[in-house]
Amino acid sequence: MKRRVPEGFWWVLPALVVLVSLSIYPLIYSVKLSLSNPGNFSRLFSDRLFAAAGVQTIVLTAAALTVEFLLGLALAVLIDSLARGRAFFRTGLLVPMLLPPVVAAVAWRLIYNPQFGMLNGMLRQIGFNTEWLTWTSGQNSALASVILVDVWEWTPFLFLLLSAGLQAIPPEPLEAARIDGAGAWRIFRDVTLPLLKPTILLALLLRAMDLVRIFDQIFILTQGGPGTATETVSLYIYRTAFRFSNFGYAAAMSFVLLAATMLFSRGLMRVMRSR
Amino acid sequence: MRLLFSTLCLCLAACNRTPERSLTIAVNAGVEGTALKTAAKEWGSAHGVHIEVIELPYANLFEKEQLDLTSHTGAYDVLMLDDPWFPRMVQGGSLAQLPRQPDADFVTTCTDVCRNPYRTGAYYALPYVGNSQLFFYRRDLFAKYRFPAPNTWQEVLSAAQKIGAGEKMYGYVMRAAPGNAVVADFMPLLWAFGGDVLDASGKPVCDSPAAIEALRFMLELGKYSPPGYAGFNADEVSAHLLQSTAVMSINWPAWIAAMDDPSKSKVVGKIDFIPMPSGRAPGVGELGTWLLAVPTASKHSADAFDFIYWATEAAQMKQAALRGNPPTRRRVFEDINLIAKFRAFPAQLASLESARPRPRTPLWNEIENTFGIYLSKANAGAMDPAAAMRTAAAEIGKILERAQ
Repeated sequence: MKRRVPEGFWWVLPALVVLVSLSIYPLIYSVKLSLSNPGNFSRLFSDRLFAAAGVQTIVLTAAALTVEFLLGLALAVLIDSLARGRAFFRTGLLVPMLLPPVVAAVAWRLIYNPQFGMLNGMLRQIGFNTEWLTWTSGQNSALASVILVDVWEWTPFLFLLLSAGLQAIPPEPLEAARIDGAGAWRIFRDVTLPLLKPTILLALLLRAMDLVRIFDQIFILTQGGPGTATETVSLYIYRTAFRFSNFGYAAAMSFVLLAATMLFSRGLMRVMRSR
Repeated sequence: MRLLFSTLCLCLAACNRTPERSLTIAVNAGVEGTALKTAAKEWGSAHGVHIEVIELPYANLFEKEQLDLTSHTGAYDVLMLDDPWFPRMVQGGSLAQLPRQPDADFVTTCTDVCRNPYRTGAYYALPYVGNSQLFFYRRDLFAKYRFPAPNTWQEVLSAAQKIGAGEKMYGYVMRAAPGNAVVADFMPLLWAFGGDVLDASGKPVCDSPAAIEALRFMLELGKYSPPGYAGFNADEVSAHLLQSTAVMSINWPAWIAAMDDPSKSKVVGKIDFIPMPSGRAPGVGELGTWLLAVPTASKHSADAFDFIYWATEAAQMKQAALRGNPPTRRRVFEDINLIAKFRAFPAQLASLESARPRPRTPLWNEIENTFGIYLSKANAGAMDPAAAMRTAAAEIGKILERAQ
C-alpha cells in the first residue's frame, strides 16, 4: 500500500530545508570540526590566551550586567512614576540602542581619543589634567571604557523590558499596600520587585547571553588590547577561525562558550526562582 | 505541484546563466583596491569580459579569500592579497603558478615574495602595489634645531627629546595597538638592533639580547610619544603628524598624499620622507606589497592571467600610481613626470629596494598576533620587556610545535 504524505508536509518543507541547511547541518559540521583534532579540547586547558579571554569575558559580563540592570531599573521606576512626558523620555532613551553597534563603537573610538577626543576635550575645558587619561589605551582603563560604551548602548534595552514589566503590574496590590500604610521603599521592595521578578529574569538572561558574545564594540574600540586587557572569548574565537584558519579549535572553544552560557543561564534561573 | 516545480527549475536555470566571459576580482577596500577596480573595468570593456569586483575591508579580505582557497569554490578569479598572507595562501596548490616569469623591471624585493619557496621557487603572483615603510620627520623643525636628517635610531631619540621639549610637542609617535600595528612599528627597530622573530631554521629568537634591547629602546621612544599610544593604530599616528603635534614616526606611503593635502594637513611641505634609520644593522623598512594572484580553482584562469599581466605592465602601473598606488616597477618610480608629482618616489624606491618582508611562514598571522600581544603589554607597562619577549618566544614556540 502506498504511504500517504501527511497533509501540510509540502508547506512545511521549505522551512524545514532552511532550518536543516542553515542551523542543523552547520551545528553537526562544527561538532565534527571540533573533534577533527583530538587535541582541540585538551589545548583549552593550557591555552593562556583562552584563559585570559575567559576571565575578561566574566568580568565584563558581570560588571556591565550589574550596572545596566541597576540603571535600567532606576530609569524604569523613575519614568513610570512621571505623571506626564513618559512617551517622550521612553523614545529618547531608546536612541543609543537603535544605533548599529559598529556605528556606536566608531563614534566612541573618536570620543575616547586621548588628545583629539571630545571626552578629554570637555574635561580639559573644565580644568582637569587629562594628560594620563588614556581610556581605551590604558592597561587599567580599557575594560572599563568598553563597559561604559556597552552600558550607554544597552541600558535602554533593560529599561524597555523593565518598564513594560512595571506597566503590567496590576494596581490593586500596590493600592492595598498603600492603604496598609507601607512607604514607597517598602512597596517597591515587597510588592513591585517580587511581581517584577519574571521580567527581571528574562531581561538579565537575554542581556547576559548577549554580553558573553560581545564582539563588535571591542573589535573596533580596542581589538582586545592593550595586550589582552579587553580580549574576550568571542574575539579570540574569531581570530582563531578567520585569522589563523584553525576552525577546529575555534569550534571547540565555541562549544565551551555555549556550555558555559547554558550553565550560567540555568544557574541564574534557579537563583531567581528560589527567591 | 508540478507547476511549482517547473517554475522553480526555470528560476534556478535563469539564476545560473552567466555571460560567457567574466572575471570576479576580490580587492581591498582602499586606495589600492580603487585603482585596481578602475583598471579592471577598463580591461573588461576593452576585452568584452564582464567584470565583477568584490571590495572588502582589509580585515575581511583575508578570511573571504582564504575560505575560497581552502574550499576550492572558485568564487574569485583574481585575488588581491597582502604579501604576508602569501605563504599561507599558496599552500596545498591553492594558487596557480604564473605561465611566465615577471620581467626584470620589477623591484626584486617585490617579486621575491611572489615565489614559493621565498626567493628561490616558482612564481605564483605578480606584485601590484609597492609598499614599504618610510620614516616621516619634520624637516622644518630639524633645520630649526640644526639636526641633520636622522640616520640612526640614536639620532631619532636625541631629536625626539630636544625638539619635543623645545616645541612642546610629542617628539615621536608610534602605534602599539596589539597585533599588526605594534609589530609593524617594532620590526624596523628589531632588525636595526640585529634581532629577528625567527632564525633561518624557523626557531623563535625574539628573546635574544638584541631583541630585548630593541624593545627597551621602543619603550624609551614611547616616553616621547603621546600618552595612550599603546592603543594607537595608523589613524592616530597620522592624525598627530597632520595636526602638527608630533615630530616623527614610521608610516606607510599611503599617508604621504595626506601630509601634503592642505584640506587635511597643517604640515604641508614640512614633512620629509626617508628610508628607515639604522642601528647596529642597516635600517630596513617592513615590506607590505599587494600582490595579484589567480586561484587554481578559477574557472576563467586564462582571462585572469591576461588581466594581471596587463594590470602590472608599466603603462598601467603608471596609471595606478597617478591614482595613488606606489608602483613595483623601477621604470615607473624613475619616471620624471611622476617624480615631479610625487616627491617621495626616490625615497620610496630606496626603501622598497632594501625592505624586508615579514617572516615567510604560513603561521605568520598567529605568530604576529601573539608577538603583538606581548609587545603591546610591554608598551602599556603591564610587562617588563625581557619577560614580554621571553613569554612571546615561548608562545611562538608552542604555535610552531603544534603545527608540526
